[in-house]
Amino acid sequence: MITERTTIVSRLAPLLACLGLLGIWQIGALFLNTDSFPSALDAIRAIPSILGDKESLINILASLRRMAVGFSLAVAVAIPLGLMMGRSRAVASFFNPLLMVTYPVPKAALMPIIMLWLGVGELAKILVIFLGVSLPVIYHSFQGAKAVEEKMLWSGAAMGLSAAQRMIRIVLPAALPEILTGCRTGLVLALITMITSEMIARQSGAGNILFNALDMGQYDTVFAMIIIVGAMGIGLDAAFEKLRGRLVKWSEPQFDMPLSFS
Amino acid sequence: MKVVPSRPEVQAESAPKSGREPAAAMIEINRVSQVFRTSGRQDHLALSEISLTIGDGAFVSILGPSGCGKSTLLYIVGGFVNPTQGVAKMKGKAITGPGPDRGPVFQEFALFPWKTVLGNVMYGPRQQGVKREEAEAQSHRLIEMVGLKGFENFYPKELSGGMKQRVALARTLAYHPAVLLMDEPFGALDAHTRTRLQNDLLNIWERDRKTVLFVTHSVDEAVFLSDKVVVMTRAPGRIKEIVDIDLPRPRRRAELLLDPRYQKYVVDIERMIDDTSEDGLRP
Repeated sequence: MITERTTIVSRLAPLLACLGLLGIWQIGALFLNTDSFPSALDAIRAIPSILGDKESLINILASLRRMAVGFSLAVAVAIPLGLMMGRSRAVASFFNPLLMVTYPVPKAALMPIIMLWLGVGELAKILVIFLGVSLPVIYHSFQGAKAVEEKMLWSGAAMGLSAAQRMIRIVLPAALPEILTGCRTGLVLALITMITSEMIARQSGAGNILFNALDMGQYDTVFAMIIIVGAMGIGLDAAFEKLRGRLVKWSEPQFDMPLSFS
Repeated sequence: MKVVPSRPEVQAESAPKSGREPAAAMIEINRVSQVFRTSGRQDHLALSEISLTIGDGAFVSILGPSGCGKSTLLYIVGGFVNPTQGVAKMKGKAITGPGPDRGPVFQEFALFPWKTVLGNVMYGPRQQGVKREEAEAQSHRLIEMVGLKGFENFYPKELSGGMKQRVALARTLAYHPAVLLMDEPFGALDAHTRTRLQNDLLNIWERDRKTVLFVTHSVDEAVFLSDKVVVMTRAPGRIKEIVDIDLPRPRRRAELLLDPRYQKYVVDIERMIDDTSEDGLRP
């Protein structure tokens, strides 16, 4: 009985937290009563009009496509690179300085240079997303590959697996839990860099809607967009967690902070 | 009954004395030395001038205190480590790398955690090009032989240490290595599980009498299992004595423990190790 009750409470807790936050927002907004801080209800009321508008919907979908392309490219490059760095000291020492220099630079800060070279179109934004996602995925793939038990590789070698086969058939699956942890961080970073790149190179996309609304003083739309973007992030993260759980059900459970509503 | 340790240099014939034909040499280790460079940029001599011949079908244990390089010797035979000096040969051919003729079983199990028990055992045969149905049938037989029938679809994380080591043994036996290389395989297990696995290993070994090279630091284990016990000294690792264990097979644990010959082997070898440990303490 006690466990049943606690599971119900822990299921409801996130919902209660959200409602609590909205409540505080609502009260705070009514209390302050300024244009630049619309009430929670006003912001939520603005959501259907954004999602119902064809123009906005096209913009949001364009954002998602950009994000998907940038994320996929990054994962396709970063996983093999990280794994090779984890298994070969030579590869690691070649790429390490490069990554150390790029790591602390906010990827959005590169936007002006990239825009200079590639213009304000798709390519520039995809490149920024690519850069933002790559680093955590490289880092986690590297860690995962480094942690692969030597004896596991020896066992494979004794069965006749070549070095390349060991990389693909032992290092990759053994490092997969760690790789997917990196991808999860990368996914959230993709969303963040997507929005910031669109705020800087304002042509289309969710970030563009947000800042246009700000320019025009439509504050309820600004807050509504923030809610939409946040919901997108939570949804993507939860979907990815489902996928991850399925892919690495064989691995020892990890005790991540429960960020998703699953 | 007297223990007659043969000198390392003069042990050309190495067949187990269990009433069988003297067997041909399966593994020859010829003046192998191993130097490791430590983090302090100092050279550490792990193995010094080891020469050892292991006959076909012999069960040979390498026994010594921790840090005597006994595992390193096994890794050299496995082809996982290249010796600094000397050469190790398998059936007369110099060992240059790992191969399916030498199957390792490690203390750490080293199972593939993303594969089920069946997937782990099938891995070797599949790699060797055995057809799926055939590999599956073989693997089912092996899994039953190591006593894990019904656990085929379990993942390694769902198994106890003893069960994991059973899977590791089946996985290695599945690709029919001529030599089993066992690196303290029961070292991480509790005493009870350890005893059961020793018995089961002997029963399995009795069926096809593969050549086994077995590294351990347990004297009981070495005497109970082996035809021959190689006693090593520490730092640098050298062969101190090679003791032929002349006890009848098949061996039954309960009978053996009461057998004064078994007890004498254990006591004598323990004395040898005590001597070598004190040697090791001297600067």
